[in-house]
Amino acid sequence: MNEKTAAMPLSSLRWIDPTELRANDYNPNHVAPAEMRLLKLSIMEDGWTQPIVARSNGEIVDGFHRWTLGSSDRDVMALTDGLVPVVAVSDEKSEAQQRMSTIRHNRARGSHAVVKMADIVVELIDAGMSPDEVQRRLGMEYEEVDRLHDRGAMPKRAAAEAFGQAWEPTVKGEEE
Amino acid sequence: MAAYLWGTNRLASNVYEAACDRVAKCYEKYDHVAVSFSGGKDSTATLNVTLDVAEKLGKLPVRTIFWDEEAIPFETEHYVRRVAEDPRVEMEWLCLPVKHRNACSNREPWWYTWAPEAEDKWVRPLPPEAITHVDGFPTDPAKRYSIPEMSGLMFDPKIHGTSAILLGIRGQESLTRMRAVRRKATENYIVHYGPDSPTYRGNLWKVYPVFDWTTEDVWTAPKLFGWDYNTSYDNMEMAGIKAHAQRCAPPYGEEPMGGLWMFSQCFPDIWDRMSERVAGAATAARYARTELYSYRSRPEKPDGIKWRDFLKYFLRKHDPAEAAEVAKRVGMFIDRHYAKTSDPILPTATHPNTGISWDFLLMLAVRGDFKHRKNPMFADSDEDRVKGWARYNAERRELIDSGRIHEVMP
Repeated sequence: MNEKTAAMPLSSLRWIDPTELRANDYNPNHVAPAEMRLLKLSIMEDGWTQPIVARSNGEIVDGFHRWTLGSSDRDVMALTDGLVPVVAVSDEKSEAQQRMSTIRHNRARGSHAVVKMADIVVELIDAGMSPDEVQRRLGMEYEEVDRLHDRGAMPKRAAAEAFGQAWEPTVKGEEE
Repeated sequence: MAAYLWGTNRLASNVYEAACDRVAKCYEKYDHVAVSFSGGKDSTATLNVTLDVAEKLGKLPVRTIFWDEEAIPFETEHYVRRVAEDPRVEMEWLCLPVKHRNACSNREPWWYTWAPEAEDKWVRPLPPEAITHVDGFPTDPAKRYSIPEMSGLMFDPKIHGTSAILLGIRGQESLTRMRAVRRKATENYIVHYGPDSPTYRGNLWKVYPVFDWTTEDVWTAPKLFGWDYNTSYDNMEMAGIKAHAQRCAPPYGEEPMGGLWMFSQCFPDIWDRMSERVAGAATAARYARTELYSYRSRPEKPDGIKWRDFLKYFLRKHDPAEAAEVAKRVGMFIDRHYAKTSDPILPTATHPNTGISWDFLLMLAVRGDFKHRKNPMFADSDEDRVKGWARYNAERRELIDSGRIHEVMP
């Protein structure tokens, strides 16, 4: 660690009792139940890889959902004897700056490109993982695994066996 | 849609055979036949039907006009290039500064594909096949045409004579399109290219040979005949977008804007540039399906404010010239209403005789509706009309009782 890296919030990492932290009252981030289950699976399979970000007064800037799991989910709590990792951000920030910091943490993430996702799903299934297991371990629905594994293939998926019957209007609309 | 479905005559043929008959009729009736091509699934059907017919009639190659709308997936470009290499196709690949609607932004309501002044922002590099000049296309940026406005330029009476341009418009797509394919000319699927167009020369007809195809039919054709197709639909299918909602046209207009978000997932290689091509694109990708863009739910009117003042507030958010245009359209609907009746326009219940509510007018005011696609809804049956009056009268009563009736007055 040099002087610059020592000044980074990550260098202040501590393992603390989650009751020392509390939620902020402005976080616009909404995590649906399926994503919450996936977040738990992520921590259970990979362990804690990202700390919660908080001010020194304990108010959470980023990581509310990790904190929720770390303070209420038995399996997650058992991993670390009930402790959660936290880094502190500067207290000099105004309340407005802190809110902006939360939004930046939430929003500065990309989205997953579907073709590359499909490549991964195809690879997993070709390597012998069952579609059920892919569903469970990536937090996907049957629908998503099915579409990705099938790679679209629109003429096959959206076609009928034969063409439909043609028609014409009996009463024609007015010309405009 | 029921109002436009009165009377359909089922034909003995299937949709493919019927489309072939319609195209054959065009070759019989007109001196010249061309296909308007976008690379989308409906124009794929239109072009392939035309190729099949032209081959039988000895009319190959087929003139195919591709309107390259710039902000389109590379999958579309690659597909169009494969089509252009088909010896049966004579492709004209147009990259012109055509006027397009940008519903993502109130401040910049139009954008121009391949505009020279925006070259640093182009979503894709100019294709080598590009035709960038067409005689008669205005050089003054303020006077540039939209695609429908400029179609006449592509058909010179002296060179082409009477002409048919075949379009992949299907009635199933929307109410507006269902109405379009029911207009009367000589056949319901043939419409004279309008005198209201600045490029009207009287020699052009628009033809919709696949007007009765369903989305299923559109995909059955490539499956049965092994036609090549635009693989951008595969990406959209993988992303979970239902077949009838899959669109590969630029998503900045009112209707397609709701699907803008999917470009980031389906077409990441163009999304980076696409999100910065027009004002408001990144915002619309995030919020197009929310009340910020008046999607389904509308902004809520505070109590005590008159509806007309509430609308004015939203009108003022457009550019002055655009605001005037939108105001004119809203005013036209209000005038029409009061020409028919002295009943007030109510917040949510549409008036059964005029189809107007403040909610409808508010949507026009917020979204702009520059393509004039939104129209009042009328009851389809006597039963619906009776229910409509019951709703109207109940809401009117409620407003009178609560002392808020003045809010709806003009």
